[in-house]
Amino acid sequence: MALISRAAHARRRSRAPWARAASAVGVIALAATLAACSNSGSSSSAAAGGSSAAAGGSSAAAGGKVGGSITVWVDSVRLPVAQAYVKAHPNVHVKIVTFDGDGNGATTMQTKIQLWNRTGNGWPDVIFSEQVNDPVWMASKPFDFAAPVKGLISDSLLSQWPAPSTAQCTVNGVQICVQDNLAQVALWVNKKLMDKFGYTVPTTWQQWAALGQKVATEHPGYIVGNIGDSFSHWIYLWGNQCPLEQLKGSQLLINAADTHCTEMASLLDPLIKNGTLPPLSVFSPDFAKKYGGADDKVLMMPGPSWYATSLFKDTLHMPAGEITATNPLQWNSDTPITTGQVGGGPWIISKHSANIATAADFVTWATTVYNPDPTGASPRPGYPAYGPVAAQWLTGMAKNPYFAADPTPALKAAAADIWTGWSIVTYPDQPVWSNTVVTGLVAGKSLTSLLPAFGSALAQAAQAANYQVTQ
Amino acid sequence: MTSARAEATHPRGLRAPLARGRRRGARGLPFILPYLPFLIVFGIAPMIYALDLAFTGANGGWAGFHNFARTFTDYRFRPAFQHILLYTGVWLGTLVVFVVGLALLLHGRANRVSSGFRFLFYMPGALAGAASVLVWLFMLDPAVSPGSFLLRHLFNVTLFVQAIAPGNLPFVFAMIAFWTGAGGWIVVMYGALNTISRDLEEAARIDGAGPLTIALRLKLPLIRKWIAYMVILSFATGTQLFIEPQLVNEASLGLVPDTWSSNQLAYQLAFRYADFNSAAAIAVDLLLIGLVAAVLIVTRTGLFRRED
Repeated sequence: MALISRAAHARRRSRAPWARAASAVGVIALAATLAACSNSGSSSSAAAGGSSAAAGGSSAAAGGKVGGSITVWVDSVRLPVAQAYVKAHPNVHVKIVTFDGDGNGATTMQTKIQLWNRTGNGWPDVIFSEQVNDPVWMASKPFDFAAPVKGLISDSLLSQWPAPSTAQCTVNGVQICVQDNLAQVALWVNKKLMDKFGYTVPTTWQQWAALGQKVATEHPGYIVGNIGDSFSHWIYLWGNQCPLEQLKGSQLLINAADTHCTEMASLLDPLIKNGTLPPLSVFSPDFAKKYGGADDKVLMMPGPSWYATSLFKDTLHMPAGEITATNPLQWNSDTPITTGQVGGGPWIISKHSANIATAADFVTWATTVYNPDPTGASPRPGYPAYGPVAAQWLTGMAKNPYFAADPTPALKAAAADIWTGWSIVTYPDQPVWSNTVVTGLVAGKSLTSLLPAFGSALAQAAQAANYQVTQ
Repeated sequence: MTSARAEATHPRGLRAPLARGRRRGARGLPFILPYLPFLIVFGIAPMIYALDLAFTGANGGWAGFHNFARTFTDYRFRPAFQHILLYTGVWLGTLVVFVVGLALLLHGRANRVSSGFRFLFYMPGALAGAASVLVWLFMLDPAVSPGSFLLRHLFNVTLFVQAIAPGNLPFVFAMIAFWTGAGGWIVVMYGALNTISRDLEEAARIDGAGPLTIALRLKLPLIRKWIAYMVILSFATGTQLFIEPQLVNEASLGLVPDTWSSNQLAYQLAFRYADFNSAAAIAVDLLLIGLVAAVLIVTRTGLFRRED
């Protein structure tokens, strides 16, 4: 065809200046189109920082002068932090861009960073991501975006983050982020309903599952958890030491046939079948309609620490005085108790930042200073990762009238229980879980029957991201 | 990606005598001149760049068919193309049958009635691609859909996640595309029907042909070329499906894979894996599929054959 011969002709002479110019025009057109496409995927808004003349106390960033202007990308949950920084630092002009901080946001971010890398400018100074694995790819080629935090944030501050949190932010021996919050999984319990039904709070997975069977017959419609979230495998499989992402040197171990995985699957299957563990996402309108509201049907729910007010109060609108947290569930009498993790959102500073001292000051302030009244209407949404702020936050949360009982001892205990055998990898595993397992559960298949497919789909995703996989 | 469509819109006359063709070309040039720069910048140049990328490696060296072989063996390649072909098949089938059927029905009606219906059919097309998908996300959710009783009783769907089960997706996307795109084509077909001489219709009627015979034996063969034209353009857009699965992927929190369609796979390869060469290889695959389909349709229907 005319088209092919013309194109082949162009390729043969691709070194000719006109061809190069045409290519360049093509790149720009392509970039513009793709930028337009990706814009539609994220809600992007920009707000200018205030410039009133109140004195702003600066936090302890190591070295450099704080001032000028910076651009920060945050999710909607972290927007108040950025706005509070603007208020406290009138000498700094902050351009805030909000974006989808979840898995979709990660793809947007990858697209944007690639484009900024190609054009050589436009990078934001600071990014917050809800995805604990984002720093890993941000620190790797071809993205190569994250700046090492050592030297930007003082060592005395950095040492106050718990070791597992620092480990998750360390890529190839270099720390390239600080986590905003810890996202340890505990067991959330509806104390009001448990008392009403006369049940005792379970301490092991087996007791919890037995109670699930009982609820199905005695109080149908009530639930003891859910398994339809894109992160449900982090709650149930990570918590039970299922080796689905275990880096051993250069090898990545993915073994969905391990007993730690299969025993949990067989424990959950009867509950999925009897309706006490529905394959629905807690953030779906269907879930809120069926199980949320003033007359809620959530009896128990294994879930991360940030469920506290973010989910139960703000999303499901459950009344105050019902929910509290208890210790993570134990597998029989196995010790030590291990639990999963959902999130642990990191702050990342750009290595391309022209105002890196201010960027570091922003991150330092957001993680080590910012702490609005924990008993008030808008406390920090998650369990702060930075130790001293966590202590203050816990004191406040203990008095928060929303909870039926003090949830903080359980949250504190769970923080130390996160299983460290789940490595943080460059590729997202949530979509793999969603489209291989959750769709199957919705169609009525058992988790046990879906595990092998989940394992091989994870292996394919890992190999596509250049990991060497052992199964 | 836009190039397939651009090429289909501006095909060359296949067998016109050379000298006359040249004269005609010179005369036609001023008419296409305003469009030419856009065609080059947004159609031909990106296509050349894609071809260049597809046959070179990351370092710019010649790579032969390596990128094509690599993407072909990618575990997401086959499902993505299967989805796309099934979707395009379903969509084109419904498009041809319903657009032509509705246009023929409209053309038989009194003028006022038919203009009202034309407007009605055209309305959904006024919603741009992404917005129409968002509307459909609500339509498909039994919790909020105005057609929830249909979903519940006819399709036995009580939850959004059931509505977007993997097996339903090609049909769901085909429905969205039909709903947004068909109205425009009905108007085009109506215009095509208007070019049919009244004398012909009258002659047929005098010969004893009823409305059905006139529609099927007279009007349909006369608008065959317009139908072929619609199929070529729609085939290209169909295989390039992107925004519908992308938005449903985001709205369903990942239940629908982000590499459902081949265009999405190209997007992921380019931006998640920074593998622009493989992405370009998939774009070229799509270009070839579009071209082959266009050539088949053009030669089979005699789209550019001239009677004179």
